[in-house]
Amino acid sequence: MNDDNKVASQKRRSLMQAIAAGSATSFFGPWAVNHAWAQTAQKKPLVIGLTMDASGQYGASGVEERLGAMMAIKEFNDKGGVLGRRIEALHMDTETTPATGSRVAERLITRNEAAFLIGALHSGVANAISQVAQKYGCIFLNTNSSSPTEAGKDCHRTKFVWDGNGTNFAHAIVKNAIAVNGKNWVMLTNDYVWGHNTAKSMRQIVEANGGKIIEELMVPQNTRDFSSYLLKVQQLKPNVVATAVGGDDIKALRQQVVQLKLNQSAAWVNNQQDWPDVYGLGPESIFGVFGTTWYYRLDLPGVKEFVAAYQKQYPGMAIRNPGNVYHNGYMATRELLRCVEEAGTTNNIAVIKKLEGRKMSALDRMQHHDAWIDPVTHQVQQTIYMATYNSKPAEKDDIFTILTQADPKDVQDKDAAGACKLESYEATPTYEV
Amino acid sequence: MLANFLPHVLNGLSLGLLFALIALGFMLIVGVMEVINLAHGSLFALGAYVALFLMGFFDGIPIGIRYALVLALAPFLVGLFGMLIELCMRRTYGKDPLYGLLLTFGAALVIEELIRVVWGSREQQLKLPEAISGAVLIGDLIYAKYRFFACALASGLIVMLWLFIEKTRYGAIIKAGAHDSEMVRALGYNLSRLRLGVFALGTALAAIAGIVMAPIWGIRPHVGVDAVVPAFLIIVLGGVGSFWGAVVAGLMVGLVVGLTGAYASEWSLLSMYLLFILVVTFRARGLFGRKSALDN
Repeated sequence: MNDDNKVASQKRRSLMQAIAAGSATSFFGPWAVNHAWAQTAQKKPLVIGLTMDASGQYGASGVEERLGAMMAIKEFNDKGGVLGRRIEALHMDTETTPATGSRVAERLITRNEAAFLIGALHSGVANAISQVAQKYGCIFLNTNSSSPTEAGKDCHRTKFVWDGNGTNFAHAIVKNAIAVNGKNWVMLTNDYVWGHNTAKSMRQIVEANGGKIIEELMVPQNTRDFSSYLLKVQQLKPNVVATAVGGDDIKALRQQVVQLKLNQSAAWVNNQQDWPDVYGLGPESIFGVFGTTWYYRLDLPGVKEFVAAYQKQYPGMAIRNPGNVYHNGYMATRELLRCVEEAGTTNNIAVIKKLEGRKMSALDRMQHHDAWIDPVTHQVQQTIYMATYNSKPAEKDDIFTILTQADPKDVQDKDAAGACKLESYEATPTYEV
Repeated sequence: MLANFLPHVLNGLSLGLLFALIALGFMLIVGVMEVINLAHGSLFALGAYVALFLMGFFDGIPIGIRYALVLALAPFLVGLFGMLIELCMRRTYGKDPLYGLLLTFGAALVIEELIRVVWGSREQQLKLPEAISGAVLIGDLIYAKYRFFACALASGLIVMLWLFIEKTRYGAIIKAGAHDSEMVRALGYNLSRLRLGVFALGTALAAIAGIVMAPIWGIRPHVGVDAVVPAFLIIVLGGVGSFWGAVVAGLMVGLVVGLTGAYASEWSLLSMYLLFILVVTFRARGLFGRKSALDN
């Protein structure tokens, strides 16, 4: 069915539904043309589609980013919503599966009339969602997927990337690790798009700083037994082992590294460490040096209140303190809703223009440096923290020690701008829900 | 060269023993009852979670004794749960096998969701006694003590199960039931009870495998998926119903996965499927599968 037929068919279906429901209004989606809702006595709620994993490799992190988004939505609803409209969040499990991501995005936009989509962890899923979102012109906030391709070759006019990417983290960590630990590196790389691109970027930065990758071991997704890899690592005797392994795979890897006490015999660098992936494992399982974008014990204004609000809103959660994934979910949602308010409209192009180049203060984001949304790549440029395990925790959850923080200017992904080709505004379908 | 290669062979064989352990319960139920139990993976996960619960429940007892208690008690409790599933399955016997398949698939979904409701989605860890945690140095390589323990336990269980099936009267009835259930019934044995017992034993074995693998794979609600796929593959590769076929197939899969992990890492997960395709292409009934009338 071509696009015209699709539109016609959808209009017919909507019209039939409207007649059947005896309703005075009907929905003339999808978003090939501008349209406005007929004004009724009560304003129609603004639907936000939460495209977040609740199962699969990133299920645990998906729950956390959802809580972050929900918190921001609640804060707006408590003030009367946005533009006088209540915000309704609709969540569908993307199952850490790209095909599901596509299906969920399609459904949320065309059937549930979601004005915006928020949420992603797996870069394959994020890319799949963003293609559907771009087709309809629907703004999509990729909250936590950090493949360099997301704001590089897979960028879109409607997509905004909120997490630091593999290149940012590599810049922050590599130079220091070579100076402290040595030049011979082995890489353990998850065999999918995020792993490949993160490792590629890591390799470039290692070599640019005089280091050498003596071997790269590809780890297929869903690997559970790392014994052969770890034997190989022992035989190669590197100074540093750099991992770009995520989700459940990194959890299994950590357990096995600790069992073998390899955390004591080589320096480990994990590109980024998401809070839900290590929460509750205990300091002995959190070895090596890794990147993150936020920690719940940063000594900055607003952090304590932010943590207290989380605990009040979500009592009895298994994860008692918020982490980087929650922070990204919250910040992305809050900033989007602020942009809608400032634009005075839900028109996608108007909101996109508000987001592009947007500056966000360090104080506002509870980080050490000001952040901004790169207008060329749509990635949030933010403080990157280098952390390791905490041998002297102040409390049970205090499992990270923040070693240093990098200014976003110093860790920028310089290749992203060349790789990213955003669609023009004209080529992006415009809509207003 | 050989000195570098040998550790990977040993590692592959140890991995194979663990794979064989994972497949044992699955094999028993398929072999005796001709039911493909798709809930095997979820029962594997449930075993790990029940062990986790019992470790907390017996808190205060020295960890070595606690671990031994848990290792004995958790499979027993999961075995009882398995009996419940078998009771539900009775209406599907003698009907299209698809009904049994759907029922166990449904059970798998229910168990996984139950786990999420009770224990949450977050990863959990099973504490280990000091004696089996940590590492040992052999030559200039470090090995996990726990892996030795897990392999020894897997070997012990494999041998015990074989002795039970081959050398006991109950084992003989089970085999006879698998071969000719009508004759077993005619001889006055209660076939329903036999099936109930076999299913309980199969699920208890799944639970033991889950507990043994917990410190290696971690404990997550969907960890069972990682178990059911290799289990299914191993019993088909070894020949459905063949005890030693499953063991040999497990060792082969472990060896192939271990060696590719070391020398062609990107193929390590795919290698088991390639091995499967290779064997089944030339020997459709599996390595030790019985010849059917159709083969003549």
